Amino acid sequence: MEFVAVASVLGAGIAIGLGAIGSAVGEGYIAMKAVEALGRQPNAGGKILRTMIIGQAITETAAIFALVMALVLLFGNNEGAEVAKGYALIAAGITIGCGTVGSGFGAGLPGGSTMEGIGRNPENSDTLTVQMVIGQAVTQTSTIFALTVSLILATLTPENTVVKIFAILGAGFAMGLGAVGPGIGDGFVAKNANTAVGRRPEQMGLLTRTMIIGQAVTETTDIYSLVVALILIFVV
Amino acid sequence: MENIAGPDFIKALAFLAAGIAMGFGAIGPGIGEGFVGGKACEAIGKRPDEANLITKTMIIGQAISETTGIYALVVALILIFVV
Repeated sequence: MEFVAVASVLGAGIAIGLGAIGSAVGEGYIAMKAVEALGRQPNAGGKILRTMIIGQAITETAAIFALVMALVLLFGNNEGAEVAKGYALIAAGITIGCGTVGSGFGAGLPGGSTMEGIGRNPENSDTLTVQMVIGQAVTQTSTIFALTVSLILATLTPENTVVKIFAILGAGFAMGLGAVGPGIGDGFVAKNANTAVGRRPEQMGLLTRTMIIGQAVTETTDIYSLVVALILIFVV
Repeated sequence: MENIAGPDFIKALAFLAAGIAMGFGAIGPGIGEGFVGGKACEAIGKRPDEANLITKTMIIGQAISETTGIYALVVALILIFVV
């Protein structure tokens, strides 16, 4: 088997192997909190189940991105490509594999605190679900950056030099690892915002605003990683 | 592919190092800023009247948490363009 074919399989393995970690932990956390809430409010089973499924579905996004990239890497057409292309495929796998860990775990955190809130007062379930969806959606930003860079790397045909190969691997590490922290951090912001909304639903507007400001500032390091990755891919 | 020696090799490893520097460097500030933002939301939930003061403090706290991320960015850019 030629190197590029081997590299595409390796890249796909890294992508889905690492990419499944975050979402699985996050969804488990939501389910744990849902069971806790159910123990407190056995009559609110319908509301708890509904919100749990919505939260878990959004948390799944990161793993689905990783799955899509794994399939792209597995079934992409790399006939006659040079060695550098193989390294680009490995870098694409590292980017999306590491990049989804943070968002997957982070999206689970607001889901958990939403469950706590519903367990405290099932009347607030609609308000809390809306707040949870906003928080989880913003948490996915870092995964979307990783997906973008990963798709660029998977479709790139780099020049076949040692310098470019190392630059491309560097871009993969920069965006992949760089997306972990902001993903988890966004999740923490959304988690505590949801706890607060669960206690005082009438303050939801103010809390959503503060949450989005906090999450936006948390995303800055993610943007630095994106810039460094794009420089490494296109400029050098 | 054969000339893995001399200035090219240094350049290549500098690019890889830039990626690793920015990648790991972004983890800490991301989580730290998340903590700040989360606790600020918690505080506003308890004292909504103090929202402006809390938001201001949150942004200052996050800016300071950000500094190590900026160090990582500077090091990465030096490795890319200067080395």
